[in-house]
Amino acid sequence: MELQRREFLKLVGTAAVVSSAFGVVHVASASQQVAASPSGERVVPVMCGACGAGCGLLFIERGGKRYILPNLEHPQPGMCGRPASALQMWSHPLRLKKPLKKVGDKFIEVDWDTALNEIAAKLKEVVERYGPESVVITRHDVHSWFLPLFQYLIGTPNLIGHEGTCHSASTAARAAVLGAGGPPIVDPDYENVSYLVLVGRNLDAAMGLVRQLAAARERGVKIVVVDPRAPNIAFGSVEWVPIIPGTDAAFLMAMAYVIINEGLYDADFVKRYTNAPMLVKPDGTPLGGKEVGVEGDYVAWDAADNAPAPLDKAKDPVLMLSEEARQRVGGARTVWELFVERVRKYPPDVAAKITGVPADTIVRIAREFATARGVIEDGWYAAKNGNEFDTYRLVLILNALVGNIDKRGGLCFQDSAGFPNICDPAGPDIVAVTGVKLPAPKAKRLDKLLYPLNVSTFDAVYEAILTGQPYPVKALFIVGTSPLQRDARYQMAVEALKKLELVVAIDIFPHDHVDYAHYVLPDLMFLEREEVATVRWTLHAALQKSHMALDPPPGVDARHAPWMLMEIVRRAWPDRAKAVGYDERYADPHKFEEWERQFVEAALKKVADRFKVSVDDLKKALEEKGFVVLKKKSYGVRPYKTKLGTPTGRVEIYSITALKNKLDPLPDYREPLYTRPKAPDEFYLINGKDNVVSSHFAFTPNAKYLGDRTVWMNPKDAERLGVKDGDEVELEGIDNGFKARARVRVTNRVREGVLFAYAFLGGRRSSLITGQFAYLREGVNPQWFTTGKIEPVVGSAPTNSTVRVRRL
Amino acid sequence: MTRLAHLWDQSRCIACGACIAACNASNYGSSTAPNVSWNWLRTNIRRIELSNGPRPMLYLLQCQHCENPPCVTVCPTGASYKDRDGLVKMNYDLCIGCRYCMVACPYDARWFNESMWTPVKCMGEECQARIAKGEQPVCVAVCPAGARDFGDLDDPGSSISRRLANSRYVKLLDNMGTKPKYFVVVGP
Repeated sequence: MELQRREFLKLVGTAAVVSSAFGVVHVASASQQVAASPSGERVVPVMCGACGAGCGLLFIERGGKRYILPNLEHPQPGMCGRPASALQMWSHPLRLKKPLKKVGDKFIEVDWDTALNEIAAKLKEVVERYGPESVVITRHDVHSWFLPLFQYLIGTPNLIGHEGTCHSASTAARAAVLGAGGPPIVDPDYENVSYLVLVGRNLDAAMGLVRQLAAARERGVKIVVVDPRAPNIAFGSVEWVPIIPGTDAAFLMAMAYVIINEGLYDADFVKRYTNAPMLVKPDGTPLGGKEVGVEGDYVAWDAADNAPAPLDKAKDPVLMLSEEARQRVGGARTVWELFVERVRKYPPDVAAKITGVPADTIVRIAREFATARGVIEDGWYAAKNGNEFDTYRLVLILNALVGNIDKRGGLCFQDSAGFPNICDPAGPDIVAVTGVKLPAPKAKRLDKLLYPLNVSTFDAVYEAILTGQPYPVKALFIVGTSPLQRDARYQMAVEALKKLELVVAIDIFPHDHVDYAHYVLPDLMFLEREEVATVRWTLHAALQKSHMALDPPPGVDARHAPWMLMEIVRRAWPDRAKAVGYDERYADPHKFEEWERQFVEAALKKVADRFKVSVDDLKKALEEKGFVVLKKKSYGVRPYKTKLGTPTGRVEIYSITALKNKLDPLPDYREPLYTRPKAPDEFYLINGKDNVVSSHFAFTPNAKYLGDRTVWMNPKDAERLGVKDGDEVELEGIDNGFKARARVRVTNRVREGVLFAYAFLGGRRSSLITGQFAYLREGVNPQWFTTGKIEPVVGSAPTNSTVRVRRL
Repeated sequence: MTRLAHLWDQSRCIACGACIAACNASNYGSSTAPNVSWNWLRTNIRRIELSNGPRPMLYLLQCQHCENPPCVTVCPTGASYKDRDGLVKMNYDLCIGCRYCMVACPYDARWFNESMWTPVKCMGEECQARIAKGEQPVCVAVCPAGARDFGDLDDPGSSISRRLANSRYVKLLDNMGTKPKYFVVVGP
């Protein structure tokens, strides 16, 4: 689908100056110095950096007032409490202000040259002694586009992100069932959805989705939230289903039971677009065409010819074999038969016992979902119990059972903007977007050796640091992420960080890990830098540019992280830096943009070529409006016109990817990877976020009130234990014995038998948190109590646990 | 006549805090000083949770812009007044900081700003400037959930009038004779 130039210009707009409805002149440009309008008002398009959603915002400055508004023209407009508090982050007293160097057990301020020279020298020494793979880089979302370039300039395979405690399992499920990628690649068409089930997802981001859902609410959408605690969205008109933690898969199994049992599924879709008709041999492997004298790797029974046929050529593929047919295919069974057999383990009354959700509620929701042809959301921040690969495979399969894939109001694939990575493996080399070739790392990424279907499993790195297996890890760059709030092996992580020869923390705030860094480098916050990126969390293909709205406040000598990293490379290996056109000219951070822009422009050129538009038009739109929509979503493409990226090209109820990786090819309900509560004083300790919580936002004074550092307890449990609102209790991890104190908040927002604490908020421990911010130490970090066990193959580390509660 | 009013749709609100924090940013310069009166941030909107009932309930509380405002009645200097647009406002030049208005308000919708040494409330300065330009107050402009509206009740074509015509809503402490103009929509 190519856009005609005229249509394209209509989409991006061509006016040099955008006038608002109120006659205010909006002039937005990359540099604030030239952006002031005659009225003294500045309106600067920015992409929110408060979480990974990247919502479209406008920075407003008028009459001495500064604040953030949503960019309503943007395809994914903001906003929530986090960016609304962005100015508190900008001028925060605890912001990292100068490069710090650890001397003894204290930090001293050093100048940028000293810090960068010393880091470069140490990094070079580590690489020469232990090999480039001994250097690990970790990230969250910020700078994630740039970091692969730094990684490959060092020559390490180990750029390992946060996903192991986030969406590793749901992404593995999307890959296994739909052949698709990360969370924003597949999403409900919120605007047109008729019935929405959220399982372990609370729409705390992206706010553009909430806006779309508001449109669906006009038409009377029903929303069901399956979660042991009521997230913020459950204050509104939704049905909240407080489920026992870690039992979502049993709930979903029972939904499938009802839908199949009552014939509410879309049989045509199931036959034509899933691998339900595929024949599986008694040993569990797919029956190959050769074995029955037909073409192809996968076979179905074709009722039209009463004979086996290639899966994609059967005119009338059957879901259930006759006994005669079964004998002719060596006792093979269809995927559908196997799936139905699995589902039969979970009639609603059995699931009710596991999940704590009444059987009639399960039956009703299954019927409503199926008859409304609803959508179940496909999971984002969901590493909670270590059984999520099954949960999200079931979610995707249920969407397929009702035939609601890539349809208006269904579970849809995002149209890709095709914004390329900064560098990618190509044959034996790594090729940068500018065409420059870099040598490929020789070693394998260490977490991938253990968890081949993961996105990232950083918890595996701690073990490697301590054991030296599969190879030594000696240096770590922590870029804009907080591993000690994020990862599920807290105690092991602390020991591992102490063992490293070089730890460099690049951030804007003192997260806990900063205390273990040898060098701390202050980064720019999102209002202070520019960035071009894909617009995530919209089904349309779109790009956005975040413009610089502010300089760092006085006293904050922060720099752009990519500049720091390129300076480290240049100082360690000038020849490698030169290979990508980087030399001492760019040591001046103000000149760095010139160098960095060549990569962005090369990437934009590829997008322009793909959509047959001019780079200048693209750039103009990004400069003036902050975004460009390249193509509107087309429904009904995958799997109808284009095959899916799964081995069979279909929705895989029976996952061949799982089978090849020695996992159960069918989903099931499996026990969580931590001991369940048994005694009356034992509780699940679950955690999560809301639109007021992120690792960075936790530092703002607003978050002191909008979030909370308590542990939530149901009123019935509180009464039973004699605990009152505000009482202090001791929590003891059942699996690891860790003890900590917290105040209890008695609230009906959490199910009986369950405690809830916000992730990333409580129990901050950095020694750089002082004075009026001592309250950041209150409460618990849920990661203190986790087992550190990891879901096999998909590498998802559960962040829920079980604790014993003792009154003090 | 003009009777400007606020609408908050409890059934749609996702409690994201955008309105609360944006009020702090735009009207109070992102102040990080505490709001001692409410034990809260410096903003004109409070968040109240009902945590003991049959289901979690949220209430966002702010000035009701009463048609019969007790805070105006008790003000000894005329600093609190009802403007021709129907909004209850403050003339800070006349305020002596006696706080009678805070005591008189049955909604506890005012808080004491130690930096100004006066009680403050919705609307803040920036929101009033925005309304004068024909823009929405900040809390309405930022809401991602379509849970807020603001406009003239006397204009039947205004968005707020149309929404109220199609919604079930309540007014708080209506029995006290304050004639509040903060409409809490509870469903269609």
